[in-house]
Amino acid sequence: MRYAAGVDVGSTQTKAIIVDERGTIVARALADTGAYLVRAAERAFQKALEEAGLQREQVGQVTGTGYGRFKVEFGDAQVTEISCHAKGAWALIPATRTVIDIGGQDTKAIKVSDRGEVLDFAMNDKCAAGSGRFLTNSAEAVGLDVSEMGERSMTAKQPVRLSTVCTIFVESDILTYLAQGKRVDDILAGVHGAIAARTVALVRRVGAESEVTMTGGVAKNVGIVTALKQKLAMPVNVSPDSHYTGALGAAIFAMERVLSGPPVTAQEVLA
Amino acid sequence: MTAANEIKYQGEMHLLQKDLMAKYYAEATAIAEGKGGKCAHLLIAGNPVELLRAFDVLPIFPEVNVLQIAVRHGSLPLIQKAEELGYASDNCAYVKADIGLFHSGYVTPFATIPKPDVLVCNYVGCNVYLNWFEHLAEMVDAPAMNIDIPFIRSADGEPSEADLTYVVKQLEELIVLLEKVTGKSLDWAKLTKIVELSARTGQLWAEIKDMTKQRPAPYDAYFDSVTMMAPLYCLRGTEDGLRFFEVAHREMTEQLKKARGPLPEERFRIVIEGPPPWPKLRVFRDMFSRWGAVAVASTYSTVGGLWEFGFRHDPAHPLESIARHMLAANVCNRNFLQRYEQIERYVKEWDADALVIHSVKSCRLFSAGQGDMREHFVRDLDVPTLLIESDIEDPRYFSEAQLRNRIDAFFEALEQRRVTAGKILQGVS
Repeated sequence: MRYAAGVDVGSTQTKAIIVDERGTIVARALADTGAYLVRAAERAFQKALEEAGLQREQVGQVTGTGYGRFKVEFGDAQVTEISCHAKGAWALIPATRTVIDIGGQDTKAIKVSDRGEVLDFAMNDKCAAGSGRFLTNSAEAVGLDVSEMGERSMTAKQPVRLSTVCTIFVESDILTYLAQGKRVDDILAGVHGAIAARTVALVRRVGAESEVTMTGGVAKNVGIVTALKQKLAMPVNVSPDSHYTGALGAAIFAMERVLSGPPVTAQEVLA
Repeated sequence: MTAANEIKYQGEMHLLQKDLMAKYYAEATAIAEGKGGKCAHLLIAGNPVELLRAFDVLPIFPEVNVLQIAVRHGSLPLIQKAEELGYASDNCAYVKADIGLFHSGYVTPFATIPKPDVLVCNYVGCNVYLNWFEHLAEMVDAPAMNIDIPFIRSADGEPSEADLTYVVKQLEELIVLLEKVTGKSLDWAKLTKIVELSARTGQLWAEIKDMTKQRPAPYDAYFDSVTMMAPLYCLRGTEDGLRFFEVAHREMTEQLKKARGPLPEERFRIVIEGPPPWPKLRVFRDMFSRWGAVAVASTYSTVGGLWEFGFRHDPAHPLESIARHMLAANVCNRNFLQRYEQIERYVKEWDADALVIHSVKSCRLFSAGQGDMREHFVRDLDVPTLLIESDIEDPRYFSEAQLRNRIDAFFEALEQRRVTAGKILQGVS
């Protein structure tokens, strides 16, 4: 059996996936990225190897992705997370034609072909408004962990209307609502609604074609997914492996290289 | 993978460009030092340098000065100086850098910029530029004339007779002002000669621009055009300017014959819309070079004048042709649908694979509508289009990791469509 791996070094977390030549995921691993990207990549990959019970030499190709993709020093190739999320989402849910990923600093909407190729994509500008960091800051402002906020928002009766999607100013907005005695679940539903509205605007730029799949760690937040479904007026798929979509896409790119030899890329021609 | 990919083409044109621009800036410095001569400050968009040259008034472009400072990584302190004076953080960064430069004694690494003897605000498409020149006029206490150029409103891009007459009348007023400033009368024979030099320069430039229709393109029509744009604006209408374009034409023809382009392999042909991020020009270029992407056409190189679709100055009608240049033969004064059409022609006639739009954060006037432009090219014309954003002058708006990510993803997608990797896994369990 031949194996390939993908390592996704994101701004918050580093994810690693190992697949076999049938495309089955044989290991998943997670590590906090922190300040040392090279070490985070190695740590995640090592954990994945241990989970799969494999030696380093048994993994034919490794592809790095995410902001730290060039820091996956043991990698054989680098692919952007845009291509990897498209490929990964298509692999998990083959009917996917639109991918939504809310990352730590970036939100992206990707139009995908029936082969998992990127047809078009749109991303937020340099400002991180409405990205994953916005969620983290909002959770902190109400004294919750980011993993708790999705469930907590589901009991909201009258979601508040936030005046900003700015990652910095949202905290003072929330404090104002808390001072007014607003309920935490209503505030969180307001946060999710604001992110969903901004994300849907991006999705409209590439066209919301069915089926829509949400990838990345934020897909675990049921409040966001619900708000997206409402605003899109469409179902939104979430795979249990959504958090690993980028790493999975990278692993598939790596496996394609294992199976057919590395494709000729511009970078290799020019190297 | 790096700048090493690029073939360093250093021909006579590059040496000549350096010499001629050094000479131009020496002349500017001499005026600044009171050694004689007069200068005007004016703007790039549809610049009427011919009239100034006829009075031996040196055209000085504040935009060219500050972009060169940005390339040398010197723009931020100037911008901050202007912000200290109260200019808003989202105000045009060209304006702020020039205001900062004025308050730093107009000293640059390449010249001392002379204070203008006259200010010619020849581009009214930008209201911020109007205020800029009003501020300058007050600061330097020089006469200023604002030439009101009506936007092109017709579908075919042609100015009306009334528009032409309106601009010619204002040029006649400018002549009166220049006569007052210089104490000379206009020498019509001299103006005719200058306009003829401009016509010949425009012809050569148009032919050079046509050469990138070939594969491989002999030069990059965005990044390398920059080398040719300074002589086109600062030296147009002079023998030196014409000589530069004769040499450039000859050398590019040679490149064409040898089938040599700026990269070892031309893998993608792109059209670029919008001005470059001057503070990070090298880094930005490398983001495209590493993918083998060569610009075969650009709208930015038509800000000062659009020659490739047939416009030429006319020595038989000097003022009328200058007016036509200001009205209809530059990208800034044309309407948005004409900008679409210009880009569409580039994509089709120059045979490009994709369009890249570089949006300018501190210039909403030029950037407004680029989201719609992206949609038009993707949805209506099926042209893969990338919209990215940074700034012409302010390095704080340049996010390298984000830009690289988007550019890499864009070319990955173009390449995926082109290179099909053998087996593709069908779903993952």
